[in-house]
Amino acid sequence: MTEKILLVDDEKDFLTVMSERMTARGMQVTTADSAQAALQEVESGTYDAIVLDLKMPGMDGIETLKAIKARNPTLQVILLTGHATLEKGVEAMKLGAMDFVEKPADLNVLTEKIKNAQARKMVLVAKQTEQKLKSILTTKGW
Amino acid sequence: MNAGPNRVGQSGLTYFGRTTASISHELKNALAIIKENAGLLDDYLQMADKGLPIDPARFKTVTGRIADQITRADGIIKNLNRFAHSVDEPVKAIDLNEIAALLNVLSQREAAMRQVTLQVCPEGATIPVTTAPYLLLTLLGRCLSICLQYMGSGKTLTVKVTRIPDGGRIEFEALDAARLAAAANFPGENETDLLNAVGAEYHLDGTLGCMAITLSNR
Repeated sequence: MTEKILLVDDEKDFLTVMSERMTARGMQVTTADSAQAALQEVESGTYDAIVLDLKMPGMDGIETLKAIKARNPTLQVILLTGHATLEKGVEAMKLGAMDFVEKPADLNVLTEKIKNAQARKMVLVAKQTEQKLKSILTTKGW
Repeated sequence: MNAGPNRVGQSGLTYFGRTTASISHELKNALAIIKENAGLLDDYLQMADKGLPIDPARFKTVTGRIADQITRADGIIKNLNRFAHSVDEPVKAIDLNEIAALLNVLSQREAAMRQVTLQVCPEGATIPVTTAPYLLLTLLGRCLSICLQYMGSGKTLTVKVTRIPDGGRIEFEALDAARLAAAANFPGENETDLLNAVGAEYHLDGTLGCMAITLSNR
């Protein structure tokens, strides 16, 4: 199954090359070069995973993560960070990030995390659907 | 114990840490792009091994991107080297234009993060002053950070270097410098110690929207 990815980074050259490599691995990639552009994409599209740079001009990765989660809590966010520290990782996880990867990222590791994100999102969406169905069954009197 | 020199040392260390952290992030970004482009070349080779035709122009594009990032990384390292050597001599004769140029390259990322355009306008001629170069850089970096913090995104911060009788002046034209300084309670104790350490004076012109550091060569 094709993974739908939103890749967010202010380095345009990074977006170009990552997008090409991920597309060659069968993923469907959309790119955004700012937090604002990413949030617009989140409003209009559905994604299995969002790969988000931690340090960006204007709204940084942590603020963007909070805004994404506020819009759609089922979205799975993988943070890209210049220096992966335990402290940063714990902070990101507390705010709802699924995982984090240190730059320069190993594409095989990132791909594995994206697949995990997709699986986790499917479980969350299935749970949501089940709850909706239960709610309908208990409130409707068929 | 005298708190002044301690605070000066701490301010210098803080500026050193903040600046090298910013430089290392920028280097990481360049390395990440180089790594992914090298990976893309590897992808092409694997495709060629499987008998898929690869347009040579694609290789040229990728190697061009790698060369660009190497040039970028080399520039970053050169700036880091200049920054490191600014502590070589505690006090020496310097050209204010050169310090402003170094401040410019070291602060571009910080300005970009605040979505502010940083523009440094040097004086045409050399402006020699004898001072503590690293501490002056720390003081100027502090002035610049305050301006960036309070001026808001989408604006341009102009740093102008001018010659004055017996010295030089560095101005930060931040539109509403009076508000900036009031909001940040600037200069505080740390900045006052730095001003004393480098033998400089601080001026604020609320009408012109400008904060300035003046150094005398007397």
